[in-house]
Amino acid sequence: MTEDDHLPAYLLAALRMAAGVDPVPERVSEAARNAFGLRLPGGVVAAPSEVGPAVGARSEGARSEGQPAMHRFGADGITLDVEVTVTDGRLDVAGQVSPAPGPDDRIEVRTPGTGRSRTPSETGHFAVAGLPPGWISVVCHRPGRAPVATRWLHVRD
Amino acid sequence: MMPSEKTLTSLDQAAWEELVTRFDGRMWAVARACGLGPADAADAVQGAWLRMVESLDAIRDPERIGAWLVTTTRHEAVRLAQRSRGERPAPSTLPDVAVPDPAASVVDADYGRRLWLRLDGLAEPCRSLLRLYALNPDAKYAQISMRLGLPMGSIGPTRSRCMSRLRTLIEEER
Repeated sequence: MTEDDHLPAYLLAALRMAAGVDPVPERVSEAARNAFGLRLPGGVVAAPSEVGPAVGARSEGARSEGQPAMHRFGADGITLDVEVTVTDGRLDVAGQVSPAPGPDDRIEVRTPGTGRSRTPSETGHFAVAGLPPGWISVVCHRPGRAPVATRWLHVRD
Repeated sequence: MMPSEKTLTSLDQAAWEELVTRFDGRMWAVARACGLGPADAADAVQGAWLRMVESLDAIRDPERIGAWLVTTTRHEAVRLAQRSRGERPAPSTLPDVAVPDPAASVVDADYGRRLWLRLDGLAEPCRSLLRLYALNPDAKYAQISMRLGLPMGSIGPTRSRCMSRLRTLIEEER
């Protein structure tokens, strides 16, 4: 299917819905209901930015086992560099917030089911290991200022 | 309650769940119709809801939220399908916040029932091929080829041709 010819997929979807085959699994609906809790009121969404061929070429999350995927996001005066490595089917996330964070700033690496908080180093580095594969987002919480969250990023084997 | 103003930022949990009930079946069907297996389809649908969470301020037309969700699911499904084929999707090919596809409204069980009536009137091999394909989401080309006695290499092109015929019949009906 190409991007500009999506009607066949829509027609096929309608045929299957009418026939009642392959209904949406409950776990998919449950995940959808739970997504509401992932809102970040007042937060700023950081879009991916291009940082040159070496890093930018990987900005959609392509990776293979053991090979990190690099992503750069920017918003509201800060840059978040995020590197994801897949190890034994789990995700290790390492990154850096710049400019250097304030003493009370916190980094939260989120998946739809978990959030792990870290205090970044003085140079802004942070790391979280062993996350489930799928969707992740990194949030920089700054006291007195809006949190900045990367767009959700999909990483899997 | 669904917010009446032109924004989705005041959406509450109950209204959100109402959206899930109304649209997640359509979103799942679209992800699967894009050729994804169950695990990838689940990720595509979840991705579309996460896009909505991060785009609540940017969605300008709450009236068309269903079309937006269906379109966003398709975008995420296309990205996942490209990646599972080992392609590297170009970041710029799909917009960050989707513009709803006008055709998204056809993803509906009532519309599907009209399609089935038309499909049953198609000549062979289209009728059997589309029936098989619609009723067996995980059927492989090899299985379809064996069931219908068609060469494996011709299944994809034949299916496209048959889908075009179905589309023409439906468009004539309008």
